[in-house]
Amino acid sequence: MSEKATLEVIAPTVEEALAKGLAELGLPAEAVSMEVLDAGSKGFLGLGGRQVRIRLTVKGLEEEPAPAKMEKPAPRPQAAKPRPKPEPKPEPRAETQPGLNAGSPAEQDPAAKLAEETLALLLEKMKVRASVSAQRDNSDSDRAVILVDVRGDDLEVLIGRRAETLNALQYVTSLIVGKQLEQWVQVTVDVEGYRNRRERQLRQMARRMAEQAVRSGRQQTLEPMPAAERRIIHIELRNNPQVETRSVGEEPTRKVTIVPKQ
Amino acid sequence: MKDLIEYIAHSLVEHPEAVEVREFRSGGRVKIELRVAKDDMGRVIGKNGRVANAIRALLRVAAERTGQQVTLDVVEP
Repeated sequence: MSEKATLEVIAPTVEEALAKGLAELGLPAEAVSMEVLDAGSKGFLGLGGRQVRIRLTVKGLEEEPAPAKMEKPAPRPQAAKPRPKPEPKPEPRAETQPGLNAGSPAEQDPAAKLAEETLALLLEKMKVRASVSAQRDNSDSDRAVILVDVRGDDLEVLIGRRAETLNALQYVTSLIVGKQLEQWVQVTVDVEGYRNRRERQLRQMARRMAEQAVRSGRQQTLEPMPAAERRIIHIELRNNPQVETRSVGEEPTRKVTIVPKQ
Repeated sequence: MKDLIEYIAHSLVEHPEAVEVREFRSGGRVKIELRVAKDDMGRVIGKNGRVANAIRALLRVAAERTGQQVTLDVVEP
């Protein structure tokens, strides 16, 4: 039977895929680690849905009791390694967004990989089917920023009112990844391009409110926003000579005000 | 839903062996109680409850999928 360190399985659900994979490897669940490569999609009335794709990686091959189906239990030179490396494999969606993948595309950044696995696991436990892909944002060299992109059908549920759910997902993922790597890692989660859409919207609103402030001669106060969104407003109006921007109030209701300069 | 809370709690605390999650159901309502070691309380609650509230937001998504209402309490050990 297969002596490979990794195995990819396709099945209608994660549970079925895992069961199928374990049966094929002849290993108990504890002996492998699972990575959801594609969480699949439901389709309509069971039609046109994509199946789930997972990758099983055999943990510390030598430490585990030899699985029944193994033909060559000969000791290997790399016995010290805690976990065999998965075969290098092109990222499933790397080619669809080459712009983001500025680093070496062959080897995924370990923090990005961890963020991807963490978010996939969270979504699975939230019973949300989606595909997750992550990469390191190399435009910011002095701090680790991981961009995680979530794609799928009917994912508005992951955004929530005022992106509350999306920000929660992002925060919990950052915490879990940071805890495992023992350092804070900024993880930015995006669902179906929401962040870009929102940024465009915020910039447009900033310009419109600035105009209004100038025209009326009165300061304009925007709705409460999280820090990352306030930052977009400040940056958009930084070079506008007619107005000044300030953040006022306390979290979580801190707001940007746009003040006309006299 | 219980496994979501277990996964998050285990991933955030220093003493995963002390994590205990209980689920109480009545009708469409689910109450989840999370217990962690005393010095891990801050890790699952956060400043101003920020971590606990983020966990609740994720829990709500899981609950809505099955048409249930859910509350999460972090209980003192």
